[in-house]
Amino acid sequence: MTTSVSTAPTLAMVRPEGPALAADLPDILPPVKTRRGVTGLVWRYPTIAIGLAILVFMLFIAIFTPLLATTDPTSLAPAKRTREPSMEYWFGTDAFGRDIYSRVLYGSRVSLIVGFSVAVLASLIGLAIGLVSGFIRAIDGILMRIMDGIMSIPPILLAIALMALTRASVENVVMAITIAEVPRVTRLVRGVVLSLREQPYVDAAVAAGTHTPMIILRHILPNTLAPMTVQATYVCASAMIVEAILSFIGAGTPPIIPSWGNIMADGRTLWQVKPYIILFPAIFLSVTVLAVNLLGDGLRDALDPRMAKRL
Amino acid sequence: MFGYLLRRVLATIPVMAIVALFVFSLLYIAPGDPAAVIAGDQASPEDVEKIRRSLGLDRPFLVRFTEWSLQVIRGDLGTSMFTGLPVTELIRQRLEPTVSLMVVTLFLAIGVAVPAGVIAAWQAGTWIDRLVMAFAVLGFSVPVFIVGYLLAYVFALQLDWLPVQGYTPIASGFWPWLENLILPAIALGFVFMALIARITRATMLEVLSQDYVRTARSKGVSEGNILFLHALKNAAVPIVTVVGIGVALLIGGAVVTESVFAIPGLGRLTIDAIVRRDYPLIQGIVLMFSFTYVLVNLAIDLIYTLLDPRIRY
Repeated sequence: MTTSVSTAPTLAMVRPEGPALAADLPDILPPVKTRRGVTGLVWRYPTIAIGLAILVFMLFIAIFTPLLATTDPTSLAPAKRTREPSMEYWFGTDAFGRDIYSRVLYGSRVSLIVGFSVAVLASLIGLAIGLVSGFIRAIDGILMRIMDGIMSIPPILLAIALMALTRASVENVVMAITIAEVPRVTRLVRGVVLSLREQPYVDAAVAAGTHTPMIILRHILPNTLAPMTVQATYVCASAMIVEAILSFIGAGTPPIIPSWGNIMADGRTLWQVKPYIILFPAIFLSVTVLAVNLLGDGLRDALDPRMAKRL
Repeated sequence: MFGYLLRRVLATIPVMAIVALFVFSLLYIAPGDPAAVIAGDQASPEDVEKIRRSLGLDRPFLVRFTEWSLQVIRGDLGTSMFTGLPVTELIRQRLEPTVSLMVVTLFLAIGVAVPAGVIAAWQAGTWIDRLVMAFAVLGFSVPVFIVGYLLAYVFALQLDWLPVQGYTPIASGFWPWLENLILPAIALGFVFMALIARITRATMLEVLSQDYVRTARSKGVSEGNILFLHALKNAAVPIVTVVGIGVALLIGGAVVTESVFAIPGLGRLTIDAIVRRDYPLIQGIVLMFSFTYVLVNLAIDLIYTLLDPRIRY
């Protein structure tokens, strides 16, 4: 994988500008080679391909929801409540007569937004704190004790406590889950920084008189990206699950927003007689989280071949 | 040995202090005005003021925190805003179902996941290994309440093997107690099993490639003894660590599982507290669970010294 990536740009630079010479190129660099590289990657890491395919599909649903949905997901129709799945109502209707199919489609937006926002925010904040902690010994002790403290609070309970103090909104759900996830990212980044600091090339950079910010930017940061990306996918998966759990127990997104957790919360009282109200959002949520986890596992194997054999 | 134990026990005190400080600070970290949020949209300004006073938000942070810490040290977690009862009393009433659920889940999860992980490592690369690992990925992907509803629907509603919902105190007999906890424990333990099975497989793979395993094989030790006596013993430390870390998952999951299976435990108490915006109660429950988690991990650290005599500080 590394060879195909690193040779491609050099060959592109060598490639002559003139159109007359370009015709000869296939002899030197058959275009099949790169294609084989990509299919080879898919073949070697099928989990990445499957995970990405499902995620792209979900993203497509989330973006084109207004076109795909059959009705307004919040419109009430008490006369048509708790209809079984049929041609008219593909996933049935809930206790208020709302179309579950349309609601589930809209729910994909909430889950994806929460998952991605938390993954990005927690990664950035964790990266910043982790870098500071790994580089400045004086603050390291205090920061790590604080992180230990936050990590000692079970994440869902921490999110519940924060949600109890704020108004229910998607932004606050993102904030609450981010606070709970930051310590894990911080610990990871700090660990990577501490091990990199001992590397000879970092010593060399220091000896050459490179300024600390430059060392962080050029030598440390690029090496944290691989483990961070993997961690970010797990944070994303966990955030989607926590959002659903929070909404399900009534401490998440406001009930009027059709999130998967909220749809399932609406179906809670009727689950014994109308299980499909919970079933459809449950399938969408599980498949989406599964896709993110598969992507994460695949990335971990691809980015760190030594770990691939172990987990 | 005693010195190590003492140091390790004392080391948990600062962690607990930071946990307490952080849980307390949530009132101040949360964006917006917590008093107004807790009072609700229909509250009058006087009500908001009353709640602000009862939460102590009208006084300086440090004064309030010192007062509150002294209270917590004396074992007083405050008073529930809704019922007017002490938080510790409310927690005590709901303790048994939750502890029962967690103990059954722990036994079940370790009992299933450790052998599954060992066999997966032993049969690495075969369909058994793939099956166990596929279940593990599924365990990380399906939220606990969905597993709960699925199990309840299939095994209680359709097959009628086990009770659908509810809880029977252990005082009314062991079987009725256990019967009600089997499905919730499987649901709650699903992620936990995934976690343990993965780490067991990973460490076992490492241990099985060691020289002493080859020596054991060459001197004719049976495969079962190699796996479960020689190898598992040496893989124990990472597994036990993950069991300790996973307790956080159990605590978080219990809140949801109890709601699905109508178990009148601390999880239900938490959900009732959320619905009623009873913040002192939520705060007390979060603090109690976090302290429990810290103590569980202290116990795990002490178990290390039994598992691996080389661990000494």
